Amino acid sequence: MALRSLSRMSLLLVAALLMPLIVTTFEKPLQFAPHLCVALVTVLFWEGSFAILRRKPVSFHGITTALIVCVLIPRDLTLWQLVFALSLGVVLGELVFGGRGFSFLNAATVTLSLLIFSFPQVELAAPSQTLALATLPGAVMLLAFGLISSRVLIGCVLGAAAVLASGSHQIDAVSTLTALAFGLVFLTAYPLTAAATNPGRWFYGAFAGGLIVVLSQGATLNTEAVVFGSLIASIFAPLIDHLVMLTHARRRRARHV
Amino acid sequence: MCRPKGLEQLTHFTIKGGAKPSVTNAPPQQIAATEVPDSVALLGQDMLDMRPKYMVSEGDVVTCGQTLFSDRSHPEIAFVTPISGVVSQLSYGPRRTLSACIIYTEGQSPQSENAVVSDFNAAASARDVLLSRGMWPAFRTRPFGRIPTPKAVPEAIFVNAKTTSPLAPDPAVVLDGQLDAFCTGMSVLSALTEGIVYICQSQGVTLCPEMDRVQAVTFSGSPAAGLAGTHIDRLHPVSLDRQVWSIGYQDVAAIGHLFQTGRYHAERVVSIAGPAAPEPRLVQTVLGANIADISRNERACGLSGDPNSGCAAQFLGRFHDQITLVENEAPAKPSGWIARLFSAKGALVPTQGIERALAIDILPIPLMRALSVGDSEAAVRLGCLALIEEDVAALSRQCTSGADYGELLRHVLDDLMKEVA
Repeated sequence: MALRSLSRMSLLLVAALLMPLIVTTFEKPLQFAPHLCVALVTVLFWEGSFAILRRKPVSFHGITTALIVCVLIPRDLTLWQLVFALSLGVVLGELVFGGRGFSFLNAATVTLSLLIFSFPQVELAAPSQTLALATLPGAVMLLAFGLISSRVLIGCVLGAAAVLASGSHQIDAVSTLTALAFGLVFLTAYPLTAAATNPGRWFYGAFAGGLIVVLSQGATLNTEAVVFGSLIASIFAPLIDHLVMLTHARRRRARHV
Repeated sequence: MCRPKGLEQLTHFTIKGGAKPSVTNAPPQQIAATEVPDSVALLGQDMLDMRPKYMVSEGDVVTCGQTLFSDRSHPEIAFVTPISGVVSQLSYGPRRTLSACIIYTEGQSPQSENAVVSDFNAAASARDVLLSRGMWPAFRTRPFGRIPTPKAVPEAIFVNAKTTSPLAPDPAVVLDGQLDAFCTGMSVLSALTEGIVYICQSQGVTLCPEMDRVQAVTFSGSPAAGLAGTHIDRLHPVSLDRQVWSIGYQDVAAIGHLFQTGRYHAERVVSIAGPAAPEPRLVQTVLGANIADISRNERACGLSGDPNSGCAAQFLGRFHDQITLVENEAPAKPSGWIARLFSAKGALVPTQGIERALAIDILPIPLMRALSVGDSEAAVRLGCLALIEEDVAALSRQCTSGADYGELLRHVLDDLMKEVA
């Protein structure tokens, strides 16, 4: 199935996020609505401001950033902290680069990283098994539309498993996958910041998975590690792609001789 | 004389990747009628950057096969009229390149006038005959996809007799009855190169006689199996110093007719199909025919080419054997490459659809990025020399940015040509 515009991609992401959002609503019923409202107003304010500054039509891609952030923030996060982190994340992670698709970072990953950097007492929400299960239908849909790559997903799980196994930890597959699922689908596998070549996607996924385990410093993966792992992996994604291109070019040259 | 080679001996390739076929309204595979257009045109878009030196002027009466103009930089290459009639318009494009040369039949029956036997001299070399009798522009070089220079010698020649779309004419049907001419054409081609002349065709009916340095190769699979770029990539990958040529199967038959009868053979079988075609059919017409004349359909908009890569046109393109009729109210694409470049506002989303869009072993997303910024060095490293516009049409359809990668590729190839020259 072809995805012919950026707006359709954002729409698809929102659709994939619906189930996790419903689960989050039930898990933190009191805090979710204010978080969501404030997050949406913040991203739309910045999207609108940049649209006016750059004299371009307003885009609504920031909504997906707000939704992803709302799922992963802790219930005791104050609203000003959310506004602060989200503003910096959306502006520095995406809008200063020219908007969705021109940045090498995922705005949601940047927002969550900034939250952890700036407020050491803040601990991101640990995904429940229900949330992990609710991620599944969206993940299947994104896979069917080719928006996320199964190579990244499998690579990440394999990378995490390999590092866990080498560390002689007791591997609990269910808790590992629960901790990984949401972040893996919406942060690590985010197509605009993951590696953009098929061989590169394997390395990228495995690298991210390994990093997540290393950063977790233990057998149980935490959300902070997932966020940081995704951030660092996406910074390295262009390098991974470049190395893949060099190898590929060498192979092509070999065919010509 | 044409002994078919056993199919089991043929090299076969199954092609994966490439655009999904879009099948609507396929024509029955038999030539339904002969449609003579009121006007035909030679179009500048089929002869990139060719600056013409006109041999005729507007209002002149010309007979089929008469030279209309030659290439200013290579005067040996003659461009001839596909019908007899009156030259009605000669127009220049930018930098005195050809825009269009339109000829009206003016009530004369081109069929009867067509049989002009000329001064065909058997002693002249095949190359001179092709150059002077208007068959040279049927070749396209790879890399770059241009008309070869008169002295160029290709390492191999690829005859593309593979169609994947059920909307296109079936080569077996078209060549039925002209196999003799096709064989003659093949032997002429083998005189142009010291390498192999490949016939790329479907499995099943063999079009290929067993001849010296002629090799039949079968392809099947996705629509990309019908692209010359795919055949060349599998059999003889090109580079700056490895040039091959490609040519269509109907042009090979036309070369055969030229060498057998001395007559310029402009007749081509074209399919008229598409969602708005009331009755899809195959018709015999001539090169560059006016689409409205031969499709006899005022209401629908005619695309020259297949439904995926065809563009709205008044005349049939030189290398097209399909006319796709679509509803008139179809959203018009922005015309002109500048408009298209500027309308490409969105970003490129690296989807799996793009990964599957090319049948050639090229990393598509790095290539699209290199083409978008006009980085010719990176594009060459990634393998852009193996491609021409038709090969990357699938990328443009899959991409969220709205960029026309065919146009972008052409700019990069033009830059590379200037560097080489």
